This record gives sequence, C-alpha cells and structure tokens, in this order.
Amino acid sequence: MTTLIHRRLGATTINELIDASPSPSVLTDDHRHSLSGRFRAVSIESHRRLDAWSVERAGRVAESFRWSPVTARRLLGNGALIRRHDDRTSITDAVADEIADQLLRATSGHARTGSLASWLASAHPTHVAIVTAESVNWATQLHDVAIEIDAPWRISSADAFVDVAGARTSLRARRDIEVRRGDDRVILRIRGGAPGKSAGPGLRTDLVIDTLADPAGLAPARYIGLWPDAGLCLAVDGTMEDLRAGARDLVRTAVAQRRARLAQAA
Amino acid sequence: MVTAYAPLNVFDVLRGDRRSRPSADHTIADGLRAILADGIYDILGPQRPDPSIVVRAATLRQPPRTVDLSQSPLGRIRGVLVNQLLRLLCVGADVVDPFDDAVSAWRFDVGTNELVVAFDRLDADDRARLNAEVRAHFSSLEGALGTIRAHWMPRSAVRATQRLADGAVELRDVVDLVVGAPSRDVAATALLDVTTAPLGHGDERTIRYHALVHTLRTSTMPLRTSALSTATNEFWTRDVDFALLARSVDDVLAVVDDLWRAR
Repeated sequence: MTTLIHRRLGATTINELIDASPSPSVLTDDHRHSLSGRFRAVSIESHRRLDAWSVERAGRVAESFRWSPVTARRLLGNGALIRRHDDRTSITDAVADEIADQLLRATSGHARTGSLASWLASAHPTHVAIVTAESVNWATQLHDVAIEIDAPWRISSADAFVDVAGARTSLRARRDIEVRRGDDRVILRIRGGAPGKSAGPGLRTDLVIDTLADPAGLAPARYIGLWPDAGLCLAVDGTMEDLRAGARDLVRTAVAQRRARLAQAA
Repeated sequence: MVTAYAPLNVFDVLRGDRRSRPSADHTIADGLRAILADGIYDILGPQRPDPSIVVRAATLRQPPRTVDLSQSPLGRIRGVLVNQLLRLLCVGADVVDPFDDAVSAWRFDVGTNELVVAFDRLDADDRARLNAEVRAHFSSLEGALGTIRAHWMPRSAVRATQRLADGAVELRDVVDLVVGAPSRDVAATALLDVTTAPLGHGDERTIRYHALVHTLRTSTMPLRTSALSTATNEFWTRDVDFALLARSVDDVLAVVDDLWRAR
C-alpha cells in the first residue's frame, strides 16, 4: 500500500516528518532494466522529458517553456541561498549577487541562447527588479523552512536527472533541500500555490526519479512536498510500493504523451 | 490602533521596540480554523457549494452590493501601479520614471489581463491624469517608507490560499509587504497593506484579514498588521492578538453568509 501523509506546515511538523521517516528501499539493476524496457516499448520519434508536473497533468502537452519571474525565481532563489554562507549577507543581496553572476556569464559569452542568463541580459532593468522581488520571496520562504530543520541540511545544487538508455527519455526530479539522517536522506521540494488532487503521484514521481539518479539506487527515506502559500505539506515514503507506483505513473504518462502526439499528428 | 501621519517612518512603527515583542504563538491557528469550520457549517449546513465560495481582501474591503469609486478601473489600475513601485523599492531598484517603470513592471509581471486591456483603452487625458496621480502617490510612498533595509527581509506581493471546511470556502490573499523573519521565540513578522484610497472601515477589515490568513498559513501569529494610504499619508497599525483575529473570523463568516445568500 502506498503512503501519502498530509500535515499543516508548522514549526515542528517538518522535524517530526524527518525524524519519523522509515528505512528506505533500494532499486536493483533488475528494477532499472525492467523500467528501461517499459520506456523503450513506448516508442517515440523525438526526445521526451518526464517529470512530476507531466505526471500531474496526465501527459497532456504543456505550453512551450518561457522565462518569467515565476519560472526564474526557483533557480535564482536556490542559487542565492547556496551562495549565502552566513547570516550577515541579506537574502536580497544574495539574490542580487546571483543575478549579477548570471549577467556576467551572458556578457562573457558563456550563456546559451534561451538560457536564464541570456534572458536576464536582454531584460529591462525594471524587469530584472521584478525577477529579483519574486526570487527574494522564493528564497525567503525556502530559508524560513530550512532554518527550522534540526538535522544537517543543504540546499540542493541541482535537480536529479536520469537518462533512460535507448528510450530517448530523460527524467527530472525537483529537489530543494536535502536532509541527512545518518546514511539516509530526506528530500524537501517546495511549490507555489496549493496542492491539487494529483500532488501525491507527483511526489512519488520525484521519489522514483531521485532514487534512479542515486548510483546505489538508494531511495530517499521520505520525499516531502511543501506548499508554503497554502501552509500545507504532503509526504511519501521511500518504500518499494511507493517506488513501484511512481514508476507506473511515469510509464503511463509516457503512453499518454505518445497517444496525444499521435492524435495531434492525425 | 495607532494612527500616524507621514513623515513618521513606517518601518520604525512596524518593527517597534525589539525588546518588547510578545512571545510567538504557534498554537492559535488550529483553534481559529475550528471556529471558522463551525461557523461555515452553521451557514452552509451539509451542502457543498460548487464552485467553492472565494473570499478575498477586496471582498472584505467593499461589502457586497455596494459601489466604491476607488474600485473603478482607473482606481484599480492606479493601485496596481503603485504596488509595482512598492515591489521595486523593496529590492532597492532605481525608479527613474515612476509611471513608465510601473507600467513596464506591471506588463512584464502579469502579461495580459482584463485590467491591462482597460489600461490600453485609456484615452490621452485619462492616461495623463493617471501618470500625474501615480507620480504623486509614489512620492508619498517613498517618503513614508524611507530606505527599506535588506536585513529586514522585505517580501512583496506575498500570496496565500487557505481551504476551509473541506474546500467549501477558500480564503485568498496577497499582502503587499511582509517584513521580519519568523522566529520560534518571539512574534517578529509585520504585514503592510498599501492603498491609494483614503483609509476607512474596509481597511480595518482588510488588515485584520491579512493577519488571519497569515496566521492560518504559517501557524504563527504575526507581530502587527498595518495599512498605509498614499492618498492621505495616513498610517494605521494594530498589534495582532486573539481579539483581532476573532473579529476577522466574524468578518469572514459575515462575508461567506452574504456570498452564500447571493447565490
């Protein structure tokens, strides 16, 4: 049976969820081969990318990505907190430094077309200020969550990525804070707005992708999704049942995407 | 209630004396949620409205079936533009031309919506009047706020959503400015609502509502909640306590009752 824990986001809730997380499961090479085989069976002409959001949307084709204050805030906000080594630097200053670093990348020619750096470099200063304001909001709420955690933690420097061999499929799991609990890890992921009905499958998707990205196949003991706007948190455990459910949802989404593309082509 | 007029610095009042801050209350939110759920059941009974009843700060500011001139399209556009300027001030941006910068930030932030379309349809006279008004309001805002220091952790346009009674009622809110870091020990967060209209009874309900939704969202009571009018330079502030939150619960239930009867 799968798990889905639902709590109000309070000062002690996250520590209780971290402390009470169960022993995680491990994915073996057999599991990996089996999942790769299922993805290969769902053939596709172009490359496909799957993540929790595509699972939550049941494979419906999303609008093409474009940079905006809301899409840029997570990258800049998380980067700012990684950059902020001590409490003497304010979050606003850390975000400004992070943006300056991105602009430097663009002016030195190290930014690809369409990247955050090149988008910021072409933006009006007023627009950059709005991006800064959104990123400060994001970084502050992430900071407020992190400082309440008693166990050792760090802001994730990158999301988890997995490329499924021979299936033209890449998987991405969002992670914002990694908490160490002995040899185990607990992952926290933050989202804006309020959780929808498919938030649980979305968390399980992130759980299985993060496990696949781990070289030893060790699952996070618990994957906690936080919705600070709504004051809620949901969590799924790193059990084999949850991993299987997450993998099934990913394959179903790949099938739904393929059907949608075939319908579009017809 | 503390009422003040500029040039008193708003942040001096918002932050107050750090040594006299009350202990942080992390337990009050569950009780408030239970009172709201009971009150909503008294109004709706076992029925489940579809779609849910949505309460916003604007619903509380202006009672249903009344007309408020500050809520005209021009008044709303002015309010939105001044809020964009507040966002720019929060991050220390240089505002070269208040009107042009506000319009540019607004278009960038929201893309296209009903209000942007209304703005595009303004004739030259209305646009010139709006330009002059925004400049005047910005001057008041800048004077009242002074320098916003980064270590006060200012956040602008902070959104919140709270579903009550199994989703029958949804409270939505956007606080113009939040300052102060949450603390386990003392109440330290202050909320500020900036309006371009003179302050009135509706603003009292609004600042109470901000405090209520913030308490439900974070499970911690804020230190104080305030309103600043850039039209009159009036500044109201209230320390948040149970009595204030209980009055806001009554405000919300009255609005839910009105909205439910109107369906």
